[in-house]
Amino acid sequence: MIEIRSVAKSFAAPAPPRRATWAGRGSGERGPAAGADAIDGADAARTPAREPRVHAVRDVSLDAPDGRITGLLGPNGAGKTTTLRMLAALIAPDAGTMRVDGIDVVARPREVLARTGFLSDSRGLYPRLTARENIVYYGALHGMEREAADARAQDLARMFDMTALLDRRAAGFSQGERMKTALARALVHDPANIVLDEPTNGLDVLATRALRESLRWLRTPEGGSKCIVFSTHIMQEVERLCDSVVVVARGRTVATGAVAELLAETGESDFEEAFVKLAFGPERAIAHDKNEHRVEPPRGGGAPP
Amino acid sequence: MRRSLAAVLVVLRKELSDALRDRRTLATVVVSSVLMGPLVLLAISGLVASLESRAEQREVYVAGIANAPTLRNFLERQTYIVKEAPADFEARLRRSTFSDPVVVVPADFEAALVRGDSPVVEIVSDSANQRSEASTTRIERLLGGFSRERALLSLALRGVSAQLLEPMQIEDRDLASTQTRATRITGMLPYFVMMAVLYGALNAALDTTAGERERGSLEPLLMNPAERWALVAGKWGAVACVSMLIAVLSCLSFLPGQWVLRSDTLAAMFQYGPREAALFIVILLPLAAALAAVLMAVAIRCRTFKEAQATSTVVVLAVSLLPLVNVFDLGGEAPWHLWAPALAQNTLMTRVLKGEALGAEQVVIPLTVCLALTALGVWYVARELQRAAVK
Repeated sequence: MIEIRSVAKSFAAPAPPRRATWAGRGSGERGPAAGADAIDGADAARTPAREPRVHAVRDVSLDAPDGRITGLLGPNGAGKTTTLRMLAALIAPDAGTMRVDGIDVVARPREVLARTGFLSDSRGLYPRLTARENIVYYGALHGMEREAADARAQDLARMFDMTALLDRRAAGFSQGERMKTALARALVHDPANIVLDEPTNGLDVLATRALRESLRWLRTPEGGSKCIVFSTHIMQEVERLCDSVVVVARGRTVATGAVAELLAETGESDFEEAFVKLAFGPERAIAHDKNEHRVEPPRGGGAPP
Repeated sequence: MRRSLAAVLVVLRKELSDALRDRRTLATVVVSSVLMGPLVLLAISGLVASLESRAEQREVYVAGIANAPTLRNFLERQTYIVKEAPADFEARLRRSTFSDPVVVVPADFEAALVRGDSPVVEIVSDSANQRSEASTTRIERLLGGFSRERALLSLALRGVSAQLLEPMQIEDRDLASTQTRATRITGMLPYFVMMAVLYGALNAALDTTAGERERGSLEPLLMNPAERWALVAGKWGAVACVSMLIAVLSCLSFLPGQWVLRSDTLAAMFQYGPREAALFIVILLPLAAALAAVLMAVAIRCRTFKEAQATSTVVVLAVSLLPLVNVFDLGGEAPWHLWAPALAQNTLMTRVLKGEALGAEQVVIPLTVCLALTALGVWYVARELQRAAVK
């Protein structure tokens, strides 16, 4: 069970001359302020150092019960990754509380990490180790015996259909193979809580389907009634998989509920439309409508009619 | 605590097997660092052997020997073979294609000698041409002998005692032992060993920090319940082990190296047996540990392996340049040398080669410095690890 209550996080904005650091970012790597929506100019005036702040997360709340898949849905830069990093105790929140199975993340991070499997945004493997060694290494770091970790790796490999990969070195893995290995690695200690940050990024249809099947099974009592939190920006994923959805935009939770409830709330029949309305406000949804149906572009900066 | 120690071992084991699987890098380090020393030793021995054989040859090159039969007579009485110098000897000396100094005799040598005009005889060598320079002293002494003989003969003809010419006697007494003298030549060996240690640590240190970050495996690693310091200690241990392994290999590589020494004199002077190898290893292990920690600390702030390589140049330069204080003998041995890492180890290893004993102070100070550097480096990496993971 995962509860997040009104967490917030801001970072010092990079100084203008350091914009060049963009070039240094590797693929799949994100800065801490990746979820930032805007640089707060008002804050800049208030802080004595006149340091502009980037508010990556302003007010995000989430409730994920056991045996359910909770989707964390938001556009790029909504603050999903930052929220999950705070949940993994990688960064300390400025405000709010986070509990996993009733344990406070900030106060007792190791206990939280021991009972949660995180698949983070960056999911690098060790290229010179085999898939099995990659998985067993994490098992050993969780305090498992080698034999137990090895047996568990075997089970997970069966579950994710990657038995043939187990004894190959990770150096030549495809995106999907890397993803499966990283997922198995995150689940090696059979955690009660599973947190996945955009797990379908870069996966093809079949791999995505296989992942969905695995997650559905993990949700069932036979699969261990896991509490699964799943962040994504893809509507279809959420529609097909999630029992409930938390929509975040510009660092805030803007809506919570099952897909049907969100549709009803927005009065839409299409979930994508409902999401755009929730995430960007009715103005954006309607402006989008106008663009589609009118020949002339709208005047007045998309004000409501 | 027990759990954390277990985590240290888990990380150590993984990082070690990871580093040892990087065969290409390891091979490069072993070939370039470990084999380098013995190869240099071989080259030095070749040079010394050629110097020795030249000294034994007893040959002297003279330009214009036909002008000086007296000198020729003297040289031949000293069992030297007199050879006519090639016409273009000056150019060839400059190009280092001719390796003997040349004695130039003026045309009126014999007449001037008879008149008592002391003719000028030149010894031509090029100080940039080291091999010709090495023989110059020998030739100078030889010609000095000729002058003395002439002087003694003149004095004897006039019934003057030869002792008047030598109101005092000069005798050389060299305090250096054979081994001490040898360090003038073998003094660069510690330097090569130290480079091996440095390059042994470099790659592994960068791979476990900046490399881990670049691969995107640092963030998932920190999502394990292991303590940060345990992760860092394990990584450091692995890097230090690799570096120490290279240190040991490098130190041992000189043992067979000395069997192939071509110069008997050098082989006699170069005392490097198992005892010296063991002392070298004892001196180098703390340095390997410290370098591992320092390199990791430098690399942890870098996003990519490449960036870390550029940044670590500072450490590489420091470790390469500090021992040069010793090699070039700038101002002799000073107390502060023991406080500077790399320089201290170089000093101590040179002492071992000279066959001198190591005092307690000489062991304790560098050890303390290395331990402090190690602790500082590991602490810094542990502090920066989390920040590095999310940046």
